[in-house]
Amino acid sequence: MRILLKLIQTKDAFICSLTKRMFTRSTVRCSDQLFVHRENDPDTKTFEFTIENIKRAESIVSIYPEGFQAAAIIPLLDLAQRQQGWLPISAMNYVADYLKVPRMRVYEVATFYTMFNRQPMGKYHIQVCTTTPCMLRGAEEVYETVKKLCTDPKLFTVSSVECLGACVNAPMFAVNDDYYEDLTLDDVKEIINDLKAGRKPKPGPSKRSGRLCCEPKNGLTSLTTPPPGPGFKVRSDL
Amino acid sequence: MLRFVAASCKRTANNPSCVVWLKECRRHARTSGSKQQQTSAAQETKPKLLEVFIDEKKVLVEPGTTILEAAAMAGVEIPRFCYHERLSVAGNCRMCLVEVEKSIKPVASCAMPIMMNGMKVKTNSPMTKQAREGVMEFLLMNHPLDCPICDQGGECDLQDQSMAFGSDRSRLQVELDPKRAVEDKNIGPLVKTIMTRCIHCTRCVRFMNEIAGCEDLGTTGRGSDMQIGTYLENTALLSELSGNIVDLCPVGALTSKPYAFTARPWELRRVDSVDVLDAVGSNISVCTRSGDLMRILPRENDAVNEEWLADKSRHAPVDGLKAQRLTVPLLRPSKSSQLQMCDWEDALLAVGRALNGIQPSRMEAIVGPFVDAETMVVLKDLFNTIGSENVYLHVDSDLDKSCFPSSKDLDFQKNYLFNTSIAGLEDGVDLLLLIGTNIRFEAPLVNARIRKAWRNNLINDIAVIGENGLDLLYDYEYLGDSTKVLADIVAGKHKIVDRLKKAQKAVVILGQQILKKDSDSNAYEMVRALCDKYGAEFNLLHANASTVAAFDLGLKPSSERKTDNSDEQSLLWLIGVDDENLTIPNNSFVIYQGHTGDICANTADVILPGSAFTEKQGTMISMEGRVQQTLAAITPPNMAREDWKIVRACSELANYPLPYDTLLEVRERMQQLAPHLTRHSNRKLEKPSLRPPPISSVSAQSPVSLLPRMKSLVDYWQTDAISRCSPTMSKCVLSTKKEFDKRGIKY
Amino acid sequence: MDTLKFGDLVGVDKYGNKYYQNNYYFYGKNRWVEYNDKVFFDYDASQVPAEWHNWLHYMTDDPPTTNPRVQYKWMIDHTENFSGTNRQYVPYSTVKQKITQWQPKDGQKIKYNVK
Repeated sequence: MRILLKLIQTKDAFICSLTKRMFTRSTVRCSDQLFVHRENDPDTKTFEFTIENIKRAESIVSIYPEGFQAAAIIPLLDLAQRQQGWLPISAMNYVADYLKVPRMRVYEVATFYTMFNRQPMGKYHIQVCTTTPCMLRGAEEVYETVKKLCTDPKLFTVSSVECLGACVNAPMFAVNDDYYEDLTLDDVKEIINDLKAGRKPKPGPSKRSGRLCCEPKNGLTSLTTPPPGPGFKVRSDL
Repeated sequence: MLRFVAASCKRTANNPSCVVWLKECRRHARTSGSKQQQTSAAQETKPKLLEVFIDEKKVLVEPGTTILEAAAMAGVEIPRFCYHERLSVAGNCRMCLVEVEKSIKPVASCAMPIMMNGMKVKTNSPMTKQAREGVMEFLLMNHPLDCPICDQGGECDLQDQSMAFGSDRSRLQVELDPKRAVEDKNIGPLVKTIMTRCIHCTRCVRFMNEIAGCEDLGTTGRGSDMQIGTYLENTALLSELSGNIVDLCPVGALTSKPYAFTARPWELRRVDSVDVLDAVGSNISVCTRSGDLMRILPRENDAVNEEWLADKSRHAPVDGLKAQRLTVPLLRPSKSSQLQMCDWEDALLAVGRALNGIQPSRMEAIVGPFVDAETMVVLKDLFNTIGSENVYLHVDSDLDKSCFPSSKDLDFQKNYLFNTSIAGLEDGVDLLLLIGTNIRFEAPLVNARIRKAWRNNLINDIAVIGENGLDLLYDYEYLGDSTKVLADIVAGKHKIVDRLKKAQKAVVILGQQILKKDSDSNAYEMVRALCDKYGAEFNLLHANASTVAAFDLGLKPSSERKTDNSDEQSLLWLIGVDDENLTIPNNSFVIYQGHTGDICANTADVILPGSAFTEKQGTMISMEGRVQQTLAAITPPNMAREDWKIVRACSELANYPLPYDTLLEVRERMQQLAPHLTRHSNRKLEKPSLRPPPISSVSAQSPVSLLPRMKSLVDYWQTDAISRCSPTMSKCVLSTKKEFDKRGIKY
Repeated sequence: MDTLKFGDLVGVDKYGNKYYQNNYYFYGKNRWVEYNDKVFFDYDASQVPAEWHNWLHYMTDDPPTTNPRVQYKWMIDHTENFSGTNRQYVPYSTVKQKITQWQPKDGQKIKYNVK
């Protein structure tokens, strides 16, 4: 009986291999975010600037000349995102109505720039740099560790991003507006544990690296002599 | 500072990303003294012409002309997708790349102004050809190969241009790099979207933002993920001009939803005609296939509709003229019985008997909104030979009759025409005063023209008397809603009087769709007096296509009908009239003639099936007095006949035979009555020269509000017999209501 | 029928047509029908019912008078061909009408029987 089954199976497989169409399937390329707002997408009920932010918004708008207020779309969207933590559709509508521009103009801007987050975000947005210099210094391990440690979506949103401009302190990640640099896996764990505990770790190069800023690790390699005084390499007759 | 803004606005005019700011800055420039700026610009001497060589052909152009325009002057056509003469320049499709001598790279000719002398452009060089092939290859890389099931097939710019300018092979490797796929958008019942076919020319976005004034369409995302859409899912476009983006789309991304999968362009027969659903007289071509009306497209006429068409004119007749049609004569044997099918002979005999048996003074004829001039001539002749003067033009009974000219005003054409002319709205209008009209829905293309002039800083001062809070697509000053404002202006007591006096060309437009109130006003006379006092141009915005022809032929408005309650037998002949509250005299024999059975057909004793504007040759006169004609694209259905022939046949059986048998003879008769009615021309406009005597004093009356009948887009779709029968228009009403509800807008 | 012929009356059908035979004539001309006088000039070959048709066209030599056909209850009466008259058969269309006619709003329904 078992042999019979086996026979049938092999026969099926044989037929399958004969009838199978030869086509290759490539990976589906998707944008990481949709550029369409669904009717039941997450949204806050209403959005309004706080009193402080209204003052800020007024001063931002006042920078632009009369008739060019639409130019304040980007700073106001940023303000709204900072207030809300992310950018719900009601915030975009609010900004559009605030500046008296058609709502679609604001949607266009908000979808164009990747730093406007149109989905709810965790309290800490951890952006791990994975561009070449960081990658060479172990950014991939950092990224994996961060992903493993940050499981609470309400607290953390982890994303891998392109160069954040701190190559000299690679590898690094940014938590909201702060850069954490010269990371080792231990540093990563420490920082994230601190964040979980509600403490704010000190931004900048990690303690283990011993660096203050972006200076060379083993002392200066240039500009080691005191600066020459006035008249340096100037013709003597001048 | 002002100068600077204005200059920067001109400079940024070619940059698509500046559209929003551009508009803002135009608004700003408008609010503070743009008039000096215009006059100073006019004083500048005309700039010298520059010479350009297009394929070694010399052309002289003004500085600032783009290479593409210069090439068009030289008779060289440059392929393009995103460029459109009536829209702002976007320069994003790159199809118009040409080689310019001394330039290392090919240049996008649509966005390249000619600023120096002796520029040499090569539109046929290897570099140009290669550039075009490259652009085509990139465009086709993400374009689906579904031409066989695409509605645009056969009239597709991408198809044509890839045949003419594309390469015969592509380096795309689908296995490694698949084609882009984009989800379709639902933007209402008129436009169907298949967004995967989109090549991002943004013509639709620019049209909706600039011309239609409906700023819901835009681009979302970036790079290869960019999409055209409304961002919010299922947003219906709230516009009366959205059908035009189907014509504008160079590919099959936007196609007509009602027309979807019904016909191919090469099967269609096109007949040039004129639209009758409003009084604008838009030039259209009617597309038919084997005696079946398939679709209606606009025809270019710069003086009337440019190349746009309102949605009601485009979609309503196509299915509206296929439902509720009168196709056979019907007769009611006695008052109490039902209508029954009959032969033409019986119906005509019944009419003949009635015309002979009833006293001429108790006979009335009323013509409706779609009636051609020929029918009116024949009808009037018949009634006059019988001895009746009661031939009327129908005026809806829920409208205020005081906004209409009365029969004593009809002696002068200037009293009832749109005297400024539609194209004249772009010609140095200093002040525009709209009275009692929602011009956006009464004449969408006139409104589009005003918006165009407003955007281009040609009309900067617009004031409205009438409904408050109308969305007219441009900024205006609201003056009030009653005739009191008019009286104040005439008396010189209103704040706008100074501007009226100062304005060199002030234009006043009086609507003809003002809702009836308890008491009548004398709005028409007051507006006339206003115009005479301040030297403003007087314009009537007619709502119906037949109005001007009727007035030219001396038909009186039906508001002047005198009906009494006597029980003597009377006769009422309705041609295409539909009005719920029409007063029908007691004991009257009602003849209904028309193409669509509507409200008034229910009361008829005889029904004579006439033909619609797509089925007959007839003279239509637009509100600006343009004499145009509709041509027969299909035959009238079944036993229906041309309207003037029906009236002529009735005259025979009433023993008053009229002396003409052919259309030419009718037109000869028409020439005797009103010579200008036979000089058909879509291009030329004869302006009346006779000036009516000015009105100096108007009697004071209690103020009445001047509210137009149509308030929002919901009211626009179904206004007449044709559009009420159209399922597409019903869908539009539903989707508009739904969209208004969603946005929380009251209607 | 339009000719002078002599023959034996074989039978009369229920429509009044008389059937004759005379074997003196050639085969093919030896059987004929004399239509009912009522139809006058409006005679038509389709007025011959099927059973007599068989005999007339030599499909059988037994006329229905001697060899009547079995009558089933589903058999309908013979009718002549009405083509070209107002009783002709017109197949109904399954295609939706391109143009629909007007029906008044007050509930009455007008009958359109348009050809």
